[in-house]
Amino acid sequence: MRAALAILKKDLQMEFRSKESILAMWIFSLLIFVIFNFTFEVSRLVMLEIAPGLLWVAFIFSGMFGLNHSFAIEKENGNLRSMALMPVDGGQIYIGKFLSVTSIMLMFEILIFPIFVIFYDLQLSLQMLMLIPVILAGTIGFTSLGTILSAVSVHTRNQQILLSLLLWPLVSPIVIWSVNLTGVIINGEITASFYPLLIRVVAFDVIFFTLAYMLFDFILED
Amino acid sequence: MSTPALDLLDVSKDFGRIIALRKVALRVELGEFVSILGRNGAGKTTLLNIISGISKPSSGKVELFGSDPSDTVNKSKLAVISHEMFLYGNLTAIENLEYYARIYKVPNMKERIESLLHSVELTHRRFDLVNTYSRGMTQRLTIARALLHEPQLLLLDEPFTGLDQHAIGMLTKLLLEQKRQGRTILLTTHDLHIASELSDRYVIIEKHQITHNGPMKDTSPEAIRKKYFSIDTEVATA
Repeated sequence: MRAALAILKKDLQMEFRSKESILAMWIFSLLIFVIFNFTFEVSRLVMLEIAPGLLWVAFIFSGMFGLNHSFAIEKENGNLRSMALMPVDGGQIYIGKFLSVTSIMLMFEILIFPIFVIFYDLQLSLQMLMLIPVILAGTIGFTSLGTILSAVSVHTRNQQILLSLLLWPLVSPIVIWSVNLTGVIINGEITASFYPLLIRVVAFDVIFFTLAYMLFDFILED
Repeated sequence: MSTPALDLLDVSKDFGRIIALRKVALRVELGEFVSILGRNGAGKTTLLNIISGISKPSSGKVELFGSDPSDTVNKSKLAVISHEMFLYGNLTAIENLEYYARIYKVPNMKERIESLLHSVELTHRRFDLVNTYSRGMTQRLTIARALLHEPQLLLLDEPFTGLDQHAIGMLTKLLLEQKRQGRTILLTTHDLHIASELSDRYVIIEKHQITHNGPMKDTSPEAIRKKYFSIDTEVATA
């Protein structure tokens, strides 16, 4: 884990210095909330129906920016090549990048969630704490897959387009289930079917993470 | 016979229809300083990429210290200096070196970093962001980064490009020091005088294959230029 933690520390140092990713993600999400909040004159009930989707639209679109940025900084000065030269296996490098992307995305989510609550006038309750595992599981699924696909697409000229094309079809189930789970919590309707769905998201997380960990060595090769 | 630092057996590399290297065979003994010469596009950088394990040969065999170059132990014995800096502009010199020191498990990290920054004369700028450095300063930091883990094999891909005379002198001194310490060094360069000053042996790659391989002491930069590049010295220096 030594190399993974070194990569995490380096990425966070760079992010805290420039605040490039978090700030851009936050502003982008804020725009989404503002536009949707003031565009649609709908009842509170309807707003509660669409709010979970909006929250995840903000998370995922902003997350795409974070993913692109994460490997763009490695491309600068040939650092991606220096990673291939490191005396560690690709899995460690993957974990380092995964941890940094995930922590930056979680920090952004913590910063944007209060804005979401204010804009959509959500009632805070103990049940809302269940959002923590849901957001965590959804985010990890997105970043575990996004990290390896971002490493693949960074070699290409159309990095952002390729990342979207590769990531969306694969990550869609996790996003859809996360939106459903978020909706259930916001509407205060947690039933027995909630937990199997959450377990399904976690299972996908484990599968994506394991596959990406095993395959990352091949991505680093020329 | 001891295990060589590097052994290339009939290494070829192609990128589809483009041939980059053709049946290259090269053996470099431990502690040897070899200069690889050749025109742009001859295949020098591809050769270094294959030696470093970044690129796989299309055919042939590469052995570094008797085993595969992509072996983790081998990677820890290796350092590459190229026109790519392998540095982060948004980190300071200290932060960059600490990052690599952690990855390469450098013992006494702080002392080692301070000593290297001193040798490349960057101590006074150690807390400045690398993107505020000049080209020469960045290259000096690149050298410090490469020497951080005391590599046994140094692969230098045109490291003198873009350096001023002071930096060239400093790099030459550092390389001679590494040579004295018994490191194996492979240098690609277009500067025959530097190659002649530093190397024990030279190799010329022409049209993707090694055409000459001989000891440096038996020749001079002018002789290499005349004989192998078909450029008359007087014309070249005019």
